[in-house]
Amino acid sequence: MADESLFDFLHMEIVSHIYREQQSSKEEMDNKDRAVCVSVLESMGFRVGQGLIERLTRDSPSFKDELDVMKFVCKDFWTKVFKRQIDNLRTNHQGTYVLQDNTFSLLTQLSNGKQYLDQAPKYLAFSCGIVRGALSNLGLDSVVTAEVSVMPSCKFQVVVQKL
Amino acid sequence: MTVHNLYIFDRNGSCLFYNEWNRKKQAGISKEEEFKLMYGMLFSIRSFVSKMSPLDMKDGFLSFQTSKYRLHYYETPSGLRFVMNTDLSVPNGRDTLQSIYSNLYVEYIVKNPVCVLGHSLDSELFSSRLDSFIRGLPFYSPRAA
Repeated sequence: MADESLFDFLHMEIVSHIYREQQSSKEEMDNKDRAVCVSVLESMGFRVGQGLIERLTRDSPSFKDELDVMKFVCKDFWTKVFKRQIDNLRTNHQGTYVLQDNTFSLLTQLSNGKQYLDQAPKYLAFSCGIVRGALSNLGLDSVVTAEVSVMPSCKFQVVVQKL
Repeated sequence: MTVHNLYIFDRNGSCLFYNEWNRKKQAGISKEEEFKLMYGMLFSIRSFVSKMSPLDMKDGFLSFQTSKYRLHYYETPSGLRFVMNTDLSVPNGRDTLQSIYSNLYVEYIVKNPVCVLGHSLDSELFSSRLDSFIRGLPFYSPRAA
């Protein structure tokens, strides 16, 4: 397994590159620009997640139901990608799942509390895309958002779209 | 047995970080002047040491001591300079400074996407980890010698 810092540094630079590109023409970024940056990062993550899940499930049997898929994401998938498991999975059994990670690996170096809280969403967009891509290739269309109140703990909310 | 203060300079001479734990006497000049004085002194002493060395030099300037304190110096290959003042009971602070660099600076500043290299270090995570590291050192005690 390659050194973890390789991905961390690359991810940092991807995020700052996207934001710099968007900002190049104007001085202030407005909310529309920020939304564009977040969606670019998220779609990059989507494609990465799709590829990753193919590779990680090639030897596993098919999943029984949605909850099984989510449990796979929380345990094996999260371990392979973020080096730890999800700490808490909650669901309303109607398609909404909340995955809580108390020490999210992309946030641990940022801060241990409230400092830099406004910068955190930038670094979560790519990961939301990874989750969405993984679920989509497992047959679940979803919308994934992330929120963070105290770093490095964060919650990913997955809402599975019923056809 | 104590650590008095710690400075971190970058290769251009700007002071990125300063913290003190047990400093009884201030320098009598503003902090900015003090940083410039410290950096200038280090620059001069390093070139002095290399010029006057009677043998081939390996590491260069390591530390100096007075009757009351010892100053330890560590420079990374990337040009970052760590300076720590301790009392005389600490013979070699170089390993401490090196572990501050690799375990704290690299982890919490270099890997922090918000911290721009070359600007002063604002991360609270870094300050608090550094503080607990220093307080956990075997040669640190809250009451100065």
